[in-house]
Amino acid sequence: MSDKLKQIISKQNQKVDEKVSRADEIVQLVGFVIGEEEYAVPILSIQEIIKPFPWTRVPQVPKYVVGVFNMRGSVIPLIDLRLKFGLNTKKHNEETRFIVMRNGDDIAGFVIDRLTMALRIKRSDIGPAPDTASGDETAIDGVGKQADRIITILKVNKLLERDF
Amino acid sequence: MDEFQEILQDFLVESFELIEQLDQDLVELENNPEDLELLNRIFRVAHTVKGASSFLNFDVLTHLTHHMEDVLNKARHGDLLITPDIMDVILESIDLMKSLLHIIRDTSSDGGIDVADCVARLDVCSSGGSLSAVSTQDVSMAADEIMEVETVEEPIVEPDYENLSEAEVEAEIERLLKQRQIEDKAKRDAKGSQKTEAASSSESVQNEQPKPVANAPVVAAAKPKPALSKKDEDDDDGDDVRAAAPAKKAQAVEQTIRVDVKRLDHLMNLIGELVLAKNRLIKINDDVEERYEGEEFLEELNQVVSIVSLVTTDLQIAVMKTRMLPIGKVFNKFPRMIRDLSRELNKKIELEIYGEETELDKSIVEEVGDPLVHIIRNSCDHGIEIPEVRMKKGKSETGTIKLKAYNEGNQIVIQIDDDGKGLDPELLKTKSLEKGIITEKEAENMSDKEAFGLIFKPGFSTAAAVTNVSGRGVGMDVVRTNIEKLNGMIDIESQVDVGTSMKLKIPLTLAIIQALLVGVQEEYYAIPLASVLETVRISKDEVYTVEGRSVMRLREEVLALVHIGDIFEVERIMDSSEYAYVVVLGLGTSKLGLIVDTLVGQEEIVIKSLGEFLKGIEGIAGATIRGDGGVTLIVDVVALMDIAKRVKKSAIADSSSDAALAKREKTKASDYAVMIVDDSKTDRVIMRKALEPLGITLVEAGDGQEALNILKQGEHSFDAMLVDIEMPRMDGYTLATEIKKYNRYKNLPLIAVTSRTSKSDRMRGVESGMVEYITKPYSADYLASVVQRNVNFKSEFLR
Repeated sequence: MSDKLKQIISKQNQKVDEKVSRADEIVQLVGFVIGEEEYAVPILSIQEIIKPFPWTRVPQVPKYVVGVFNMRGSVIPLIDLRLKFGLNTKKHNEETRFIVMRNGDDIAGFVIDRLTMALRIKRSDIGPAPDTASGDETAIDGVGKQADRIITILKVNKLLERDF
Repeated sequence: MDEFQEILQDFLVESFELIEQLDQDLVELENNPEDLELLNRIFRVAHTVKGASSFLNFDVLTHLTHHMEDVLNKARHGDLLITPDIMDVILESIDLMKSLLHIIRDTSSDGGIDVADCVARLDVCSSGGSLSAVSTQDVSMAADEIMEVETVEEPIVEPDYENLSEAEVEAEIERLLKQRQIEDKAKRDAKGSQKTEAASSSESVQNEQPKPVANAPVVAAAKPKPALSKKDEDDDDGDDVRAAAPAKKAQAVEQTIRVDVKRLDHLMNLIGELVLAKNRLIKINDDVEERYEGEEFLEELNQVVSIVSLVTTDLQIAVMKTRMLPIGKVFNKFPRMIRDLSRELNKKIELEIYGEETELDKSIVEEVGDPLVHIIRNSCDHGIEIPEVRMKKGKSETGTIKLKAYNEGNQIVIQIDDDGKGLDPELLKTKSLEKGIITEKEAENMSDKEAFGLIFKPGFSTAAAVTNVSGRGVGMDVVRTNIEKLNGMIDIESQVDVGTSMKLKIPLTLAIIQALLVGVQEEYYAIPLASVLETVRISKDEVYTVEGRSVMRLREEVLALVHIGDIFEVERIMDSSEYAYVVVLGLGTSKLGLIVDTLVGQEEIVIKSLGEFLKGIEGIAGATIRGDGGVTLIVDVVALMDIAKRVKKSAIADSSSDAALAKREKTKASDYAVMIVDDSKTDRVIMRKALEPLGITLVEAGDGQEALNILKQGEHSFDAMLVDIEMPRMDGYTLATEIKKYNRYKNLPLIAVTSRTSKSDRMRGVESGMVEYITKPYSADYLASVVQRNVNFKSEFLR
């Protein structure tokens, strides 16, 4: 009986896989702005987007790790992407948001200047990262082209990686 | 998990449990070799393991246990007297059995360990031969034979079955009977606790049942350690009692259930959440009480809050208890260890154990094992003298080591006493000097207690030579590290030639702790209360500087001081007051004074990890969520003490340096910055218009709060502020008072610009630190000149 069950399960899995690969042709992203540039991350890696609220500073970490905050009982690190990308710090304003991203068990909140929109980009419209910024080290996954603009797509796992 | 794995898991759990009790029994047995009940029990362990392992096809294990069984069976029937030599062989075989079980646990097979040698010796024992008479050659020959037998007939579980001796036949009968007993156990029952009853009923059973069974009930009647609490009785005993008292029907069979530790951990996490919510509720309740004082519904709310908090606390304790294990689990292995050590070292040592029923959190029980091993080894090797020396000193030949565990408040104390030669502080200092662990100066200032603490330094050893047992100077360092990891403390007392007493104080649990909340500037930190010895308030002139480090005198001791702000890189923006608070931290044997700005209070906190991204930050053990929803970091006292050594100068804030920083050289008009604080847009525009011609930088704020925030951000360094008095959220007076709290802005000129003209208003202005008082309406020129005067505007910038 277990053999039968396995067959059924594997069939179901196949179906799911097929669905995913078909949907894969369009990538759903969430776009946001840091400084002058527009960036995006896959929509599924975003746990939530929240308005800024108080955080606690943590000592002995790089400047761009501004601290930790409490999200419904979990203590989550907060990273300022402006500082991480080498820009100056900016006062939080009405448009500032925290994007909480998750990759497996790794989770962190990121401070961004403002959100733009949810994007649907065809996979064929996404080019590779420029040669100067490719490889395992870079946080850039690729460059999305849409109408009149260019959007840098970031690797969430790289953003969530501790590099200090 | 497939069926085999499941059975295997059960087998392993059972075997490890059985073995735990075994060591103690064996040592007991050596003292009373005639004790039939003990022998029976030991025999049964070997037997049970054999039975199960043969079923699971662990041939090597079966082979070994089978031969153990032989020897034990002979002893049981009085055919063999257990001498220390035979005991050595039995103990060795049990060690082998343990390692085999470990291998099985890790690899699910029992290869990799050669048991032949041990089996050969077991055979010699069981054939009644004297071990000393057998030359090593014989042993190895015998071993070879067995090896051959093994290789040839590997699949056969019990190779000697063909020539069953009388004893073996008996063993077989015993096994069958035992099997029946196990079958019966499901139907029969007696409450494990009613031992005496069981014993009396066993007498009647004895008369009716065939002889071999009679042994079993008697076992239940007496345990070697009646002090053991009744609930701790191991399954094995329970079975026999049940079998022995058929009158009682099955009820107690399911008294305990095995629960996956993960589930308990999850439960503990949930309780943690609840405790946080409770803290929050209490805080909200306080706020509501303040706001609606005297309202009737308050009482009802109060009641609900106190019930919730009461039940939460009870629930927390109850769940914590499910994770508790008796410390006897750790203590059990020591009788055996002492026995081996005393033989090895040619000393006579007796171990007395008290309080093994004391319970500790599972995770802690696992951690204290190693430290205790090292302490006891140390006591045996360095503490207890050899018998001749003891005789000369007028002590009894046999040295005693006492192992005690008891509760003390929120802590468990494990005390290890020996009546050996004690620690000589002078000798300890000399040795440390030789090894370069301390400097001469340090040695001079050292109290006896601090000198005792030297034994925990890595690399320290008083032993003349490195022996098998100790002398490498590693063990006691392990003790310190492990105990500190548990936020525990070590306390040593010792007297030369009288003995040494070591106390390990360990918190009951790790997940939810009591903490002292302290404040520095605008930040808060939680310090585990277990590491806090006391708090004292000191004034600045009580702090002395010795070799670039701050110290203070605390009663008889000199206490090293460090400011929490220096450790956690807190920006000192606010002026520290005349007094500071010192939190005296104690860990292991070392002490440190931590200077903080404020003491907030004691709170129950739930330790949360900072997650993968921020783990391993030096000085931070984790975080907790406070009643107001904010995150507070928990201080890692162990790391803090290390960091403190590196922090050089840590006096209370030196106010002059910060102030000097603010005055930078001005090279152009826009280097001057003035803040305009007024709630009316029109007024701000008027002021701006008046000052713009000067070309200075102007920053506007709509009220006091905003102005303060701008100051805190520190983007501009302001030379003066124009402050309106009447403002929402925070008025001008309050703002001025707040600003004066900051070191850096102490000398910042504040200019009041207001329509309030009364004398009392002016007085208040002066009191709160305003330097000028401009009344509306004013001329633009007047305002500009006042500002120029106050910022020391250089005339060359004037256009």
